[in-house]
Parts: sequence; structure tokens; C-alpha cells
Amino acid sequence: MQSNQTGKYIFKKAVQLVLSLLVLSIIVFFVSRLAPGDPLKAYYGETVERMSQEQLAAAEERLGLNDPLIIQYADWLSNAVKGDFGISYQYKQPAVDVIGQVFGNTAALAIISFILIFILGLLLAVFCVKREGKPIDKIICRIGVATNSIPEFFVALILILVFAVSLNILPQSGANSVGMSAASFGSSGGFVILTDRIIHLILPVSAIVISHLWYCTYLMRNKLSDEMSKDYILMLKVKGLSQNRIIYRHCLKNIMPACISIMAIFLPHLLGGAYVIEMVFSYPGLGRLGVESAQLHDYNMLMLVCLITGAMVITANIIAQIINEKLSPEMKEERGRLI
Amino acid sequence: MIKKYLQPHEKKPITAISILAVIILGCLICDIFIPYDPTRMMLDQISQPPSGAHIFGTDTLGRDLFSVIWHGGRISITVGLLATLISTVIAVIYGTAAGLAGKKVDDLLMRFTEILLSIPQILMVIFIQAIWGDATVLSISVVIGITGWMAVAKMVRSEVKQLRNAGFVLAARTMGAGFFYILRKHLMPNFMSAIMFMIVTNIGSAIAMEATLSFMGLGLPTDIISWGSLMSLSQRAMLTGAWWMLLIPGIFLVVTLICITDIGEYLRTRNRRDKLM
Repeated sequence: MQSNQTGKYIFKKAVQLVLSLLVLSIIVFFVSRLAPGDPLKAYYGETVERMSQEQLAAAEERLGLNDPLIIQYADWLSNAVKGDFGISYQYKQPAVDVIGQVFGNTAALAIISFILIFILGLLLAVFCVKREGKPIDKIICRIGVATNSIPEFFVALILILVFAVSLNILPQSGANSVGMSAASFGSSGGFVILTDRIIHLILPVSAIVISHLWYCTYLMRNKLSDEMSKDYILMLKVKGLSQNRIIYRHCLKNIMPACISIMAIFLPHLLGGAYVIEMVFSYPGLGRLGVESAQLHDYNMLMLVCLITGAMVITANIIAQIINEKLSPEMKEERGRLI
Repeated sequence: MIKKYLQPHEKKPITAISILAVIILGCLICDIFIPYDPTRMMLDQISQPPSGAHIFGTDTLGRDLFSVIWHGGRISITVGLLATLISTVIAVIYGTAAGLAGKKVDDLLMRFTEILLSIPQILMVIFIQAIWGDATVLSISVVIGITGWMAVAKMVRSEVKQLRNAGFVLAARTMGAGFFYILRKHLMPNFMSAIMFMIVTNIGSAIAMEATLSFMGLGLPTDIISWGSLMSLSQRAMLTGAWWMLLIPGIFLVVTLICITDIGEYLRTRNRRDKLM
């Protein structure tokens, strides 16, 4: 691809991303504002009930809550373009700062689980295909279909019951032990804090991996199995190549685009799962922040959480498309819709 | 490869259907066999482990779990069915409209669903429900319904796209048939079998969604008994080792979900085979 073309291509993808985010922000904005509920309560807490009419009106005026919705949105948008996403009514600091404090936690949780699911899923898929039709393959497929329907919070609770309550070997909540703040993570005294954090991540990550791994394996296994029944595989077998060599050298390379698409499609489920898991483990992250701000009508915060989530998913989809198009040129213009 | 699809009819998921039938029947006629009034709180018998008097034990409010669980099933399954009904109606109308529309409108409608699909459903459900405030059975079903139609709509659209130029649709159109007439008489009978498995799977995920929401304290309050709201009591109780409060409603929930998925999976494979034949 020539550089000019690549530039055009990236530009097109960027426009796609920005447009999607714009529509997303409109949807979230109007859904949240049209719903009943008083954002002043988030700002002033219980004192809101003791405030006079004039004080309430003044507060609304100051926070810009009594303008028509269209104008409120235009205001929000013009500030957002400048990087100012408003203040969180609940924390009374810029929403970006509040999210900045916890974003790393969610990112750690999601990225570690994502990578683990991808690698383990692929390995298990190969394991299954090598034993296609045998009982172990059938069992794994059954588990794959069944676990897809089990809610994440139940898996998480079972893990807590076994490892935190009965065996008492792993912590059951939080991102770090009391007294070790997340802010000092990565700076001085790093090692103790790091191990502490890793210990706190084990259960949440396992819960996400356990609830998503099997279905992912199942999808990848089916792709791999279809690939293995193609004609060129027969030719390779006739040539006398070993099964391992056929799978690792030829098949995996060919199904990689499909696997990447599976993972991209999986991302919203995985993020949703991660948010629920955060709630169960009281893990300070985007999910918990989002639920809190939805309950308290903390609009600016809610907006930002939704936009960040949407941006992650849309970006992942676009990256998956780009990788796919690079890996297999014949898939161009199919917009990455593979399964 | 072809041999795989030409095998004699895959056996019907009889176990799944019968277990599900037992659970549903139990929920419907439970008033006959439950030993206690499910709303009665026996305050002198809080958090009792399973025993002769209480087969499944009691919860933190002193209710007999065995009695409560069947009533909880009623609400959970109702939410699942109602939410799926709502999402299916939206999906069918939206998908058909996109499928029959011109290229530009179709592109626009589909881009919109893709944007909605970029937010995890559970997140949307949590946000909308939290914003709306106190949940009822109806509100929770509506919220789950209006956030869960996108995947089915995409499927409907692609089916309608294949059907729109069929002779019978064109004939009906030239004779001046309306949108809903064509949808009901000509399109639905043709694409229903293709989306049936998604509808069944959606019932399961709606039940799971309600349980998750109620469990987190955002859904049904504990006095409206559902499997999810029963489990919301369990998190704190669990720390004292009261495993039955979590495991028993959980097993009911999970078994129901697995049965529904099983049936959905059967419908999916059957549908795929019908197409290949």
C-alpha cells in the first residue's frame, strides 16, 4: 500500500471513529437527561432538601442545568472538544481526573483477562481439534455452550466462597490492601505494592476468564475445525507433514483473522463482564464509577464512562479490521464482519 | 465436511426440555406443594442451614428457601419472556424496515445499531435502570428489551434482504399491501425459523441480566422475590459461611439458563442444516 493511500485509509477510519462517538454521546446525553431524577442531589448530597427555591435555581443556573437540552448539549460538546468534560457533581472535581484515578485499575483487569482468554482459548482450540470427535472435545464444547449463559457474578461469588471465605487464601475485595494507595503504585516501594495488587487481581481476573474462555474456545475451535477440513490440508497430509506442523504453521496463520474478529466481537461482552465483576469485588474501576454516577445522576461522569467504553470497543473493532485487511487482502471491503 | 451436516437428525435436547418443563411447571403450580408462605418472615429462624424443617434452609429474612425459590422462578421467567417479547418486536420491525428500505436509509439504520452494539448491554441496562430509579417487573423487562434487540435486528435485516425481491413480496407490493401486512403475511413466516434460536437464547440472557441487576441491588428489591433478588441477600451472608443462600438459587438459575441455551443451540444447528439441504 502506498503511503498516500495508507494516509487516506487511516483518515477514513478516524472519521468513522469520531462520528460513532458523536452519535453515542448524543444518545447517552438525551437518555440520561430526559429521565427523571435530580442531579443537584449528587452535588449537594442531603443538604439539597434544606435549600430554598432561590438557592436551587441559582445552583441550576451555575451548573447550566436550566438551559434547553440542545443548548446544554452544544455547551457540553464545545467544551469536550477542548478536552474539558465537565466536573463530576459527586466528587466535585473534573470528571477526567476522577476517571484518571481508576482507569488504570480497569485497564489492568480488562487487558490481562483479554490476553489470557485469547492465548488460552487458542491453545484449547488446538487441543480440541487434535482430538476432534473424542469425548474430551465434546465435553469442552458442551462447557463452552453452557458457560456462555452463566452470569459472571455467580462465577465470581463461587470463587469468593471457595477461595476467600472457605480457604481464606485470597482477598475478596478491593484493588489493594488497606493502607496501600493506588496512587503510589509504580513509584517507590514498588515491589510490595505490586505483589499486593497482583494478589488482588487473581480472583477478578479468574472470574472473567472462567466465564468467557470456554465460549471463545468453542468459536475458535469451530473455525479451526472448518479450516482443517479444507482441501489444502489434505494436500499437506499427503505430503507427509505432521499434524502439529499443519496446525501451527498453516492453519493458525489462516484462521488468525477470524480469531481476531472473534476477540473484537467479544470485547463488549468482556468489558460488560468486567464491570459486573468490579461491582462484586468492590474493585475501584470504571464499572463501579459508572453505576455510582448513574444512581446519583452524575451526568458528566456517566457520559465519560459511556464514551470511554464505546471508544474502546469501536477502536478495537477498527484495529481488528485493519489487522484483518493487512493479514488477508481478499477480505478488504468486507468491513470485518466475519461471524 | 458435508458428511457432518448430513448426519441423521441431531437428537432433540430431551433432557433440557424436560428439566425446563419441570422447573416451569413447578413455578406455576408451586402453591400446592410448598410448605410455607413465601412472604412469611420467620424472625426466630433466620439463616438456618438446610434441615428437615426447611429442606433448603432459610434466608437472612427468615423465609423458607424452598417455598421462596419457586415463587422467585415465576418472576425471573416472566421477566425473561416479557423482555424477549419487547426486544423481538422492536427487532422485527426495525430489521424489516432496514431490509426493505433503500441503500442509504439501510446504511444509516445499520450504522446506528452498530454504535449501540459498541456499549455492553449490561452497562446500558445498569445505566438506564439506575437513572429510572426504583425497578418493577415491568420496568426491568422494558429496559432489558430496549437494549437487547440489535443483534436480532441485524439478522432480520439480512433475511429480509434476501426475501425482498421474491415474487410473492413484489406481487403483494404491487397490489398495494402495507408494510405490516407484508411483514405479517409474507416475511415473518419465512424468517421466523432463522431467528428463533436467537429469541430463545435471548430469553436466557434476559433472565441472567435480571439476576445480575437484582443481585447488584439495582434491580428488583428483596421483597419482590426473584432468583436474582434472593441472591442479593447472599453476598453478605456468604461471609458467615451461609453457602446455601447463594448456591441453591444459583443452581436453579444456572440450570434453567443451561437448558434454555441447549434448546437454542439445537434450534441453531437444525436451522443451519435446513438451509444446507
